[in-house]
Amino acid sequence: MAPSDATVAVALPRSFSSRRARELMTGYLYLVPVAIALGGTIVVPILKAMHMSLFNYVLIKPQEYGFVGLGNYTRLLRDETFWLTLWNSFVWVFGSVSLQFLGGFAAALLLHQSFRGRAFVRTVTLLPWIVPGVVVALVWEWLYQPNYGVINDVLLRAGVLRDRVAWLSDPGLAMPAVIATNVWRGVPFFAIMLLAGLQAIPEDLYEAARVDGAPVTRRFWHITLPLLRPIIIVATATRVIWTFNYADLIFVMTGGGPANATQITSTYTLLMAYANLDFGYAATLSVVLLVIMLVFTVLYLRVTRGIESVT
Amino acid sequence: MDDRWAPSRRQLLQTMAAAGVVAAADLAWWEEPLVRPGRAWGAQPVRFQFSVPEPKRTALVESLAQRFNQAQKDFEVKVEFVPQAQARQKLVTSIAANNPPDCCQVWDNWVGEFEGMGAVEDLTPRVRDWKHGKDVTPIAWQTVTVKGKILSFPWVVTNDGVYWRTDRAREYGITPPREDWTWDEFRAAARAFTKLDKNQYGFGMRGQGTWAILYATEFMYANGAQVLKDGKVAVNSKEAVEGLEWYLDLFRKDKVCPPSVPTDGWRGIVEGFGRGVTNMYIHNSGSSEEQKDFVGAQNFATLPLPIGPAKKRTSFYFSETLTAFRNGKNREGAWRFMAWLMDDEPNFMYCKTLGLLPARKTLADRPEFAKDPAYAGFIRSFPFSIVSPYLAHAGWGGKLDSEGVPLFQQALVGKLTAREFLDKFADVLAKNMT
Amino acid sequence: MSRGRGDTAERVLRGPVLWTGITLLTLFALGPFLWVFLTSLKTRADLYATPLRYLPVELTAANYADAWTSKLTPFSRFFANSLWVSSVTMVATTGVSILAGYALARFRFAGRNALLLVFLATQMFPAVLLIAPLLSQWYALGLIDTYQALIYSNLSFTVPFTVWMLVGYFDAIPRDLEESALIDGCGRFGALCRIVLPLAAPGIAATAIFAFVTSWSELLFAITFTTQTEMRTLSAGLLFMVGQYEIQWGQLSAGVMISTVPVAVLFTYLQRHLIRGLSAGALKG
Repeated sequence: MAPSDATVAVALPRSFSSRRARELMTGYLYLVPVAIALGGTIVVPILKAMHMSLFNYVLIKPQEYGFVGLGNYTRLLRDETFWLTLWNSFVWVFGSVSLQFLGGFAAALLLHQSFRGRAFVRTVTLLPWIVPGVVVALVWEWLYQPNYGVINDVLLRAGVLRDRVAWLSDPGLAMPAVIATNVWRGVPFFAIMLLAGLQAIPEDLYEAARVDGAPVTRRFWHITLPLLRPIIIVATATRVIWTFNYADLIFVMTGGGPANATQITSTYTLLMAYANLDFGYAATLSVVLLVIMLVFTVLYLRVTRGIESVT
Repeated sequence: MDDRWAPSRRQLLQTMAAAGVVAAADLAWWEEPLVRPGRAWGAQPVRFQFSVPEPKRTALVESLAQRFNQAQKDFEVKVEFVPQAQARQKLVTSIAANNPPDCCQVWDNWVGEFEGMGAVEDLTPRVRDWKHGKDVTPIAWQTVTVKGKILSFPWVVTNDGVYWRTDRAREYGITPPREDWTWDEFRAAARAFTKLDKNQYGFGMRGQGTWAILYATEFMYANGAQVLKDGKVAVNSKEAVEGLEWYLDLFRKDKVCPPSVPTDGWRGIVEGFGRGVTNMYIHNSGSSEEQKDFVGAQNFATLPLPIGPAKKRTSFYFSETLTAFRNGKNREGAWRFMAWLMDDEPNFMYCKTLGLLPARKTLADRPEFAKDPAYAGFIRSFPFSIVSPYLAHAGWGGKLDSEGVPLFQQALVGKLTAREFLDKFADVLAKNMT
Repeated sequence: MSRGRGDTAERVLRGPVLWTGITLLTLFALGPFLWVFLTSLKTRADLYATPLRYLPVELTAANYADAWTSKLTPFSRFFANSLWVSSVTMVATTGVSILAGYALARFRFAGRNALLLVFLATQMFPAVLLIAPLLSQWYALGLIDTYQALIYSNLSFTVPFTVWMLVGYFDAIPRDLEESALIDGCGRFGALCRIVLPLAAPGIAATAIFAFVTSWSELLFAITFTTQTEMRTLSAGLLFMVGQYEIQWGQLSAGVMISTVPVAVLFTYLQRHLIRGLSAGALKG
């Protein structure tokens, strides 16, 4: 785009070129507010985080403040808990996103049908996604509550459980429990994304297939899935990134406990900043998070580019 | 596209533009946001951070501050309530940013950390001339003394004891223990108190917060262990490992504790007992008034901790402190407010309402404390109570919470053995001796 | 494969399977809220009754009144704070991103594509990355316990997304209309206000509501950059309740309902536009 602009600018008479210059000035002027807003709230803080990650910066030990070079990064490599949180993050992301996808797909297929009260059901389905994260966390903490929680009560009455279970206190159950909550929260996201995709598929494709006598399963495999592929990839990738970064739910529900069973990298970063007040190390962790995300984003862009060139 | 939008588009834009103007105006005069309570008076107000915002305490502290504000006209005291879980972080960040409150209520094991940051006002010279200085028990002063400097007022000082459901004991035919009961009797009671079919457990062990470790340490001491020996960390000694093993097994093997132990903090253990899920728990006197409301004064009693195999037992004193900061804006005001809180009536009111024991002898001797059976377990523990060994090094207070507790939880859930936990814990302590 | 069999499968799918699915889906999405709603209407005795009481024996609005007027966790104040922070964030975000979106959609300057990528990438930044540096930044500027700190910080996650969405909306508006306005002597800004904005109004409303809803839900900034009760937003206030000695589940449930209803209403309104914007924006990536 830029080269053609340049040729145009050269080829045009002077008055035009000065108008173009004015136009460009206007364009840049319009970008000034966004530059200020994001410069102050993203760019400067990120640079600052990178800077902080090179220092021994523990709030409770101001006298030990000093430059340590890559010291925090070597500490990170030897930090067993960090590696554990990476693994936990993987379980958390994989468990959450795959189940959200399956649930969301099923919901999208349902919501795509026409039935009475569809508008209502659609709106209701979206609720878990839009309420504040802290609300979700608290609601589920209340559901999981060992003594007054409704989940234990239902399972006891149904005879599935014999004793009460402390869902969030058992290291084996805590992760599945927070994932279940996150699935509840994320199903609507996939549902609306895939629903939008479904609505974009022309009905005549199905008609034609029906005329050819293709049963509903085949229509699904041969029309629905392939045409949804781009949106599936995009939605999954965004969700993976978002889930990887997402800390609120675990932070509120378990704080990463018990015994780090639900500690993912982003909550570990929070813990370092809030409980240990070790800002240097927290910054290091967040820089590493950022790098992981950038790598993933690049991969994601590659894949979506590929899709664009295909479609 | 949606047709319903069409007629209202201009209106929509106009509304949005108007809102934009309002926002811009507000950005310009931001100092006074729209809704804001009335301004403080001329003099710099005293900001007092209080870190246990539960309804009873909040009402009490508010009313105390109000009384103080009415009693003098020089300055106003403003109370800032911060949840316990966030209190330490808030204080440290505000100290680091040079904007601490003038004074605060915290616990003795945090003060060393603040002192390490050079933030705490040294009260030693003022306390020397303070009228009640001699009335405060020496052990209480000891809890707030770091490297020879008195850094806080001990607002209350208390130790740990065992809460025990007397009505349930009668119901299940459990003989009430003598005051000098042993570990075996403790465990037997916990077993007899555990009724899974009724969702009842014998012992509400604490798995979260600093005191999870302190209670476990009390059991280690009863087995003859020590945290420090000849100035060196000895918390991973054989006695400590055995004592801890026995304690952890109450949860891991004997199954006399509720499954929620690894996440039960202060609230968890107090509520568990209050709602009848557990029949014993260890805590300080601070929840006795609460339990009178929950389970009824006639239905519970308090006892000293049981005697361990080493024929010993220990209970740790700790104090809730009133601490002032060097960079406070009104240091004189902070001192006056704190000294007022330590006066007879305010101090008595605070302690009695909350069920905490006063640090001042004349108050502690009043019949409301000395004669109430709900305090018996604590008062009878005085002869063998000591100041928490974790106060020995300023750097330990915070580390106990941030590094010790996650390790302890791993031991609770069986990811670490008692020995592995104590070895790692000893490392943490050894690294932070200052 | 015979047509008949396909139709039977389809009939089963559209009949019983569909209705079971819809019932399950509704229960799944709504169940937890129903439970919280019921909890919010219960008296203390009902709340802690054993065995569990599903329906309140005695209906009470006391939890709402208590939560709203509580001195310790004044939800009225939290509500006002949330409303103010989210509204100003919404207006600021919309203003900033209309200009930026328009510039990116209409002016072909060097680095435009790179900029678009930056906006996409910043959407993927972890919020935890910003907390420590922003905290020290706001301390340095003396903005702790102010609305500005929250509003400015919220821009970090609202603006990248809304710019991205608005570029898509503006791109879809034919240029000819503006060109003629420009020739008629309207400046760029005039053309933007008179031609483009009215056409893009639904999209702008959608992004505005998006900014509002996400700010309303924001938690980490709200708990980090405020210390005083009176400055807390609803999200932070809810967490504050849990930090207490005893969780007042009745009041907490009332608080949950108070924080949920406004966004639920707004979202119902926004839903179709956002879905369109989401899928459009996503497919462009």
